[in-house]
Amino acid sequence: MTAKDSKGKEIAKHTRIYMPIPQQLGRGDKMGRGPYEKSGIIRDNGLPPHKPVHEQFEIPFPAEFKDGKTNILDYDMTVEIELMYMPFGDKESGITWHKVTKKVTLEKGGV
Amino acid sequence: MKFLRSIAVTAVLALPLLAGVPGMATAAEEKKAKSIDELAKMYDSSGCKQCHEGIYNDWNQSLHARSIFGTGRTALTVATTVKVGLMGWQYSGVKKPEDVKVKHLMVCFKCHLPQMAEATDDVAREIVKLSIRYGDKATSSEEKDKIEQKLSSININCLICHQRNAIVHKWVDGFPQKNEVYGSKDGTHADSNHAVMKKSPIMSESILCGQCHGLGPNFELENPSQCGTLYGSYLWAYRAEGGQESCQECHMKKSKMGHNMQSYSDINFGKSAVDFQVETLGYIWRDKSKMIPQTLVKVDMTNRAGHSIPDG
Repeated sequence: MTAKDSKGKEIAKHTRIYMPIPQQLGRGDKMGRGPYEKSGIIRDNGLPPHKPVHEQFEIPFPAEFKDGKTNILDYDMTVEIELMYMPFGDKESGITWHKVTKKVTLEKGGV
Repeated sequence: MKFLRSIAVTAVLALPLLAGVPGMATAAEEKKAKSIDELAKMYDSSGCKQCHEGIYNDWNQSLHARSIFGTGRTALTVATTVKVGLMGWQYSGVKKPEDVKVKHLMVCFKCHLPQMAEATDDVAREIVKLSIRYGDKATSSEEKDKIEQKLSSININCLICHQRNAIVHKWVDGFPQKNEVYGSKDGTHADSNHAVMKKSPIMSESILCGQCHGLGPNFELENPSQCGTLYGSYLWAYRAEGGQESCQECHMKKSKMGHNMQSYSDINFGKSAVDFQVETLGYIWRDKSKMIPQTLVKVDMTNRAGHSIPDG
């Protein structure tokens, strides 16, 4: 998830990884990476079948806080949420399954 | 890629059983291949194309058709398994690549090349040599192309799923024979090498795929490992929760990919596997007297596949 201000400057970035964490040689607390050393599961953080997974992110708008007052520097934010399959653990070889872009605008004024 | 996990288990278990069954000329009893070319010839399914061209072409697009080469990454992982795994383990018996035997490669090839059980150690060494050579920066692109061609000549083809591994319960359904092919019905088959057509009771069942797409550590090996855990997830997180569809229904029929049966790497198939909804809300939160402008991003995902995504 990436958030940018109205000028396109990145103001937030968060990543969640969904995958099983295989146990190295079926012992201890270390993850095994090579297929030849995987022999257990430490935990499974993959997407389980037919069960909803919810994520929430709270992204602050650029603002200054002084003398008890808030000066909002930008009322617009664009968030891009992308679900990628990364077979080798890097974005370069990743395959985008879903990508959603949303623009968020704060109301001006108010009490 | 992960379609191929525990196939060789059945073959390995079958060996002692077959010894006492006269007339059961199975794949495991055939003369062993001494080279990649011999193994490729032993499991040559190119003749199937003559009558099943569409299916053959679909399969040729699949990762099954290059199960020990993959995108190149699989071959490199074979090399890493030797150099980092086998050569690094004190009791493996492998001090150098030339020491590798068939049994050492079965940690990968139990699924990626189950017919390796019908090859000599010469074939193991040939594969290792080529895999290491492929990963060598000094190797020319022309030589790499030749290695790719050679390593792709042995794979998971028609004769693996429709003959060698078509039967799981051999005491119940009989042992696969070299002159048979297994499908959805009994009869004759217009191929002199495989003149008998038999119905496999599991050709449309997930257990056929589960032979390779794994339950977890392969304990029958001297040094177990797990690559695929997908069938385990299918059994215990999908079927156990009331799911009813088979691997074949989603990966072959609904996807309309037939024997191509892609999964994670196909963008559209991946997209269809996960529902993905995003909501945003901009608002100003008040922390006591402090006004904090922020956006709430809510992401809801539901995996519609019959197994965890990803597996491994």
